[in-house]
Amino acid sequence: MTRRADVVIAGSGFGGAIAARRLADAYARAGEDPARIVVLERGEGFAVDSFEQSMHIDHLSRVYRLIQGQGMQVVTATGLGGGSNLYLAASLRAPREVFERRDRRPDDGPDRRMWPKAISRATLDPYYARAERALRVRRPSWDQVSRSGGVWAALCDAAGHTCDRVPLAIDLDRCVDAKWCHTGCAFGAKNSLLTNHLAIARRRGVTVEPLREVQSVRQSSARPYRYVVTAAVVDAATGRPTGGLEELECKVLVLATGAMNDAPILLRSRAALPSLSEHVGRHLGSNGDHLAAVELDPGRVRDVLGLPGYAEFHEGKPITTMTYDFWAGRRRDGTRFTLQEIFLSPLTGILYDDGRGPPGDPSWWGLQKKRSLARWSHRIELLAMVEDTHDGTFLPVPAPHGGAVRPNGGPVEIGTFTYELSDQSRAVRAAADAAMRAIAERSGVGRFLPMTETEGVYCAHPLGGCRMADSPDLGVTADDGEVFGYEGLYCSGSSVVPTSLGVNPSLTIAAVAERIASGLVRRGADLGLPLK
Amino acid sequence: MTRREVLRGGLLGAIAAALPAAAAWERTAPAQALALAPADATLQAFFDTVVPGRRVARTVSGAVVHPGAIAGADPDPGAVEADALALAQHPRIGFDALAPASLADLELRAAEQGGPFLALAFDARTRACVQGLDFGNPLRTVWEAAAAVAFTAFCGGAISRTQTRADAPGWAVMGLPGRAPHGYPDASYGRRLARERTRKGYLA
Repeated sequence: MTRRADVVIAGSGFGGAIAARRLADAYARAGEDPARIVVLERGEGFAVDSFEQSMHIDHLSRVYRLIQGQGMQVVTATGLGGGSNLYLAASLRAPREVFERRDRRPDDGPDRRMWPKAISRATLDPYYARAERALRVRRPSWDQVSRSGGVWAALCDAAGHTCDRVPLAIDLDRCVDAKWCHTGCAFGAKNSLLTNHLAIARRRGVTVEPLREVQSVRQSSARPYRYVVTAAVVDAATGRPTGGLEELECKVLVLATGAMNDAPILLRSRAALPSLSEHVGRHLGSNGDHLAAVELDPGRVRDVLGLPGYAEFHEGKPITTMTYDFWAGRRRDGTRFTLQEIFLSPLTGILYDDGRGPPGDPSWWGLQKKRSLARWSHRIELLAMVEDTHDGTFLPVPAPHGGAVRPNGGPVEIGTFTYELSDQSRAVRAAADAAMRAIAERSGVGRFLPMTETEGVYCAHPLGGCRMADSPDLGVTADDGEVFGYEGLYCSGSSVVPTSLGVNPSLTIAAVAERIASGLVRRGADLGLPLK
Repeated sequence: MTRREVLRGGLLGAIAAALPAAAAWERTAPAQALALAPADATLQAFFDTVVPGRRVARTVSGAVVHPGAIAGADPDPGAVEADALALAQHPRIGFDALAPASLADLELRAAEQGGPFLALAFDARTRACVQGLDFGNPLRTVWEAAAAVAFTAFCGGAISRTQTRADAPGWAVMGLPGRAPHGYPDASYGRRLARERTRKGYLA
């Protein structure tokens, strides 16, 4: 039997949690019961204390998805709270140039601004401020900067560059510098969505249903209900669909399942939603993520940088410093990048070339690589976030379930997308490599370890697939998140972001979601919601 | 109890519970039962080529290592000791499905070096793997997946029960303690180390 709700929100990451909370606030103000707002989450119904310091395959299977697509590997999250459980909490406003970027690729229509006209850094700033308040963003003092971040700052300084402390959505008094953010904070110190938006939404009475994976959408003919959502029931023990399906009929549907899932849901629903833009599934981006590592010589760290050595890659907070010197002042679109010190997980040890051996010898595996791993604690890792061109496209026929093919109950999935770096995306990555190498190897302090030669991109920040635009011939949703041609059907979250951001995307995703939620609340009465 | 059940018993449920059972089985089993299936021995030899290690008879969880699998190219623990084979066979990894294709191509490359792979010296194994992992090999993706298993066991501690270097030999090699239940009290240099460009940490 089909149940009914006012609003169904698919996904409980930044896009979904913020929509749920802001709608719940509006329902409360109107004296209405928010139980008719239903959040469906494919993963487990996590609480703040659900997480542990563990890379064990069983824990990874509960919290992570590692999606291997053609040309891009994506790390993403699952479970209540989405990416906020695993993110490293760097919370940065994107530079204003991001919103002014223009798209000049031949197959992409006329030269035009890629973001909708209504969105610029200035118009988004009030929503950034709202997002920062809700996520309790604070900038660490230099006393709270990790040694790994400090050594990066010192390297930048020695090379004549500036380096800034990164604002974080972390309770800095509670954080114990264990550097285990990547499997979920075990200390309740990370300001994940479980500690703010989702906690408030639940307290107000929003219905949250974990282990429900939205598969498809069709239109309803029973006004004021507009959409029927079909969700697969997921088995808690195995993480696999049980075969059971549930249907919910709703007045408003918010797709907030992230860039890896929103487009596949719409592609699967295309026959029932024939007016969808042709851009569904296109412009999948990596946020320009480009990793590298630096192996430091502790003696040179002492002699050249004047620091008491370095062997503590595993201590501290995972992100604390970055330089904007390769962004600020650069006028040419597509040439800018930022360089941030980061700790993703020890598993990234696989990603870097040792590069010591003679040509022809293995550089990312084998004996030299093993010896390089033995110096792991002397490393820092760097994330370049470059201006690339969102080079990915989902296949027209998505996976049978979810956003990707999941062969078993583990974390590895096969993505149904292709990613082919444009010349610009390659060139700006090469420029970032050259900049990192120059800073790292100056005066022999470090040795630059480039990303392993591989075909494509390693990405922790997937964006796009349902990008917002000024018209359906350029994108999937309008600037308010509503899907062109479908009243009351919204996308909110990473899937609507049209460009790489130059910074970690969570705060921009949150700000865009705040803007979408704000518009949704304003229009609520017109859409049949019990709001004044 | 079969060899695979022993291995999986350590992974799936409780390594602490499974190990005594495995030990009892070993005491009563005939010596030849301790030998690995040929395919598993070859996989161990492959993992040892990707992340080489010292010669051991048992992995850190107590599983059998084929006597010819580890070439002994490095004095520290490698992927085999870190239970890469057990991870490959873990139901949440599913490498079993790729193993036949992976092994068939591996032996093809090994034959060019005078194979079979298990019988090759370390340098010849390395040459075979260089060919397999070459971009010109249409099966490179399968080889990458196999290599990823070795790294996930070694760098990721993916089947370590304690999540410390006590049963994650890769972390011991890397200098990573693992779990940090109390964090680290002194994780900063405690002073400003660069000029900053922005007032709030982000660009205008």
